[in-house]
Amino acid sequence: MRELAICMYCDTVHERVELPARRAARCVNCQRPLYHSNTDLGAMLAVTITATVAFVIANLFPLITLTSGGFQTEATLWRAITASYVQDLPVVAVSLAVTLIGAPLFELGLLLWVLVPLCFGTRPLGFTRIMRLMHLLRPWRMVEVFLLGVVVAVVKLSGLAAAVPGWGLFGVAAMTLALASLASFDRGEMWRRADAIGATS
Amino acid sequence: MTRGVDLRLAACETCELVVQASDPLVGLCPRCGEPVRSRKHNARTRSWAFLSAAAVLYVPANTLVMMRTEQFPSHREDTILSGIAYLWSEGASSLALLVFTASIVIPLVKIGALGVLLVTTGQHSTWRPHGRTLLYRVLEVAGHWSMLDVFVVALLTAVVQLGRFANVEPGPAVLPFAGVVILTMLASSSFDPRAIWDRGAE
Repeated sequence: MRELAICMYCDTVHERVELPARRAARCVNCQRPLYHSNTDLGAMLAVTITATVAFVIANLFPLITLTSGGFQTEATLWRAITASYVQDLPVVAVSLAVTLIGAPLFELGLLLWVLVPLCFGTRPLGFTRIMRLMHLLRPWRMVEVFLLGVVVAVVKLSGLAAAVPGWGLFGVAAMTLALASLASFDRGEMWRRADAIGATS
Repeated sequence: MTRGVDLRLAACETCELVVQASDPLVGLCPRCGEPVRSRKHNARTRSWAFLSAAAVLYVPANTLVMMRTEQFPSHREDTILSGIAYLWSEGASSLALLVFTASIVIPLVKIGALGVLLVTTGQHSTWRPHGRTLLYRVLEVAGHWSMLDVFVVALLTAVVQLGRFANVEPGPAVLPFAGVVILTMLASSSFDPRAIWDRGAE
């Protein structure tokens, strides 16, 4: 059967075509994105590793350092979460933990779990379930919003005391870029690759 | 223009495989085993429910105090709007505009636009389907940016703990505000944009 693609926005049926590099196919009817041309899983793995390193930096190092008189305080990602928990706002703490740590951590971990075996030509364990989980998690990752949040917080603080952005902020910024670049890969390729491996083994 | 519903074809939401199935199309995807539907399940009811809950929470989110700042000897209590006004008065006007867009404009536009989409699709309207599809796409992409203020308050709370000199505490508006963001996200992801193009055939 010819490979088809159906627009999720208007239900128009398309025949899949080979795309030139760095292009996305758009629906002929409503012009919303259909699929991407970038099917290089090795490159995708490289970007995922980059994002993971950035994630570690974002979590370990302070985002903002505040100095006032003899006092110095630092805001790390973890501290922002525990502080809102201590302030009797467990729901806020949980939503921070999910959108900033849980969702990206799971997504990156699952991507590594899937991409490493695929690049070596074996089918990842629990492949379909993991792909489903990734699909469900994606909308809840809000790293890029948090990046802007840190910038706003630094500016708001500048009236109060000397606020300096820390290395953690660079981690968040790098992670935002890496995650944005991950979006340009055609995720359907992981399915096709896994299918091809499944058929030969 | 051939539509999936006419060919009895639908794409699996999880793995994008196009499969043959009959309408109203509940079958399992042969590749990933997930249910495949030609249209989202209970889209209108769920979307209306999330949207009305978000609209109700929008009121306390904007009228209650979002952040308390104590900086000896002064004491400030800011709602979302007064916090933006404060940023503006401090000379950070571009940032104030940014926060205004993320915290006030986006939630309001989201609630209004989704309401319009739900009403027009309910009437099987043929009014500007391209524009309405684009509107839906914008809602999907812009939706989570409203979380900005919640992040800012959490960060400030974490960093400003300078004893009796300065302190920042989150106010009661944080909870309904986060609720509005999450509920509007759920409302727009429940909505099925394909209904815009279904011309009363169903």
